[in-house]
Amino acid sequence: MSPHDDRLPCGAELEALVAQATEGTPAADPRHQERCPYCQTALRGLGTAWEDVRALARVPVPVPHGLTVRVMRRVRNLAGRAARNLILAVPRGRTQISHDVIARVAGHTALAVPDVHFASARPAPGRPGEPDRLDLSVRLVAAYGPALHAVAAAVRAVLRRRLRTLTGADVGQIDITFSDLDHRA
Amino acid sequence: MVVQVDDRVLVEAAQAGDVDAFEMLVRRHQGTVYRVALRLLHSAADAEDVTQDTFVRAWRSLGRFRGDSAVATWLYRIVTRRCLDLLATRRPQAALDDDQLDAGADPAARAEQRERLDAVARQIAGLPPDQRAALVLREFEGLSYEQAAAVLDTTVPAVKGRIHRARLSILKATAEWR
Repeated sequence: MSPHDDRLPCGAELEALVAQATEGTPAADPRHQERCPYCQTALRGLGTAWEDVRALARVPVPVPHGLTVRVMRRVRNLAGRAARNLILAVPRGRTQISHDVIARVAGHTALAVPDVHFASARPAPGRPGEPDRLDLSVRLVAAYGPALHAVAAAVRAVLRRRLRTLTGADVGQIDITFSDLDHRA
Repeated sequence: MVVQVDDRVLVEAAQAGDVDAFEMLVRRHQGTVYRVALRLLHSAADAEDVTQDTFVRAWRSLGRFRGDSAVATWLYRIVTRRCLDLLATRRPQAALDDDQLDAGADPAARAEQRERLDAVARQIAGLPPDQRAALVLREFEGLSYEQAAAVLDTTVPAVKGRIHRARLSILKATAEWR
């Protein structure tokens, strides 16, 4: 492509007109441009073509069906390799409960407490010598307004009860972090 | 009740090992990631692969995500880099060859605008990958020059230059300017 290809017959540079049509860059020589049919034609054409680019940008791109499931299958596979278990010794054998199972139940349980808008729970790694003990760390998003210590106390109480019943483990420490407050009414 | 939990909260939960929180991030951002991949790669199969890879990488590198940039910017970086890597190994596309691309389609059945948009899409597909990435981030995703430069690990003038060259070659081919 020679530079000659990028000039209008009047000598105006296409490059400058493209900048003008797409970014609104001021014309180099407005007085020439106003009266020049070549410049006017080019500007109209470039404007229309640029509108096509904008229109293409607005065409929605649907997400393929089942994409989330396929992504999460791979992620869960990876996460599963690092998963831990709660190991409970019973008279004849032992019971193992995946931390993921405990986390999910704990999360749902905490979410059912009034004014809790989001909950994410993780069991802490087991303590040596206390295999039956279950410690938990919980992140919450609460409603803006109610006393947080009261919300925390309610979450602790319900988690202690639920996890004790579910697992038979000795529920130890429950650490609660409020990550955010939900300001919407 | 549908609660719009902040991305940052979900990232913290995912960093602690909460896969369900990560899934909420995936649902929230997969449309953006897939759209960018499709627009850069022009192949639904490749875009799907790259989208999956992007989130697997994001999961793996969660520990390094500090939260000083937005989750969207972080994902833009991963997906764009993955696409550029893939494009570097691909044979350059003969995307400007109209006859070849139109061979399977029925021109009579197409609306006029559809044809024009296809022409634009073909021009974009034929751009050098670095120009294509800058154009897609700025004009299709609406990122600022600063954001696009951060995603592409380059400077604002470099991004502006790439976008300008991209616009020039697209419009030179599609506009009636003579």
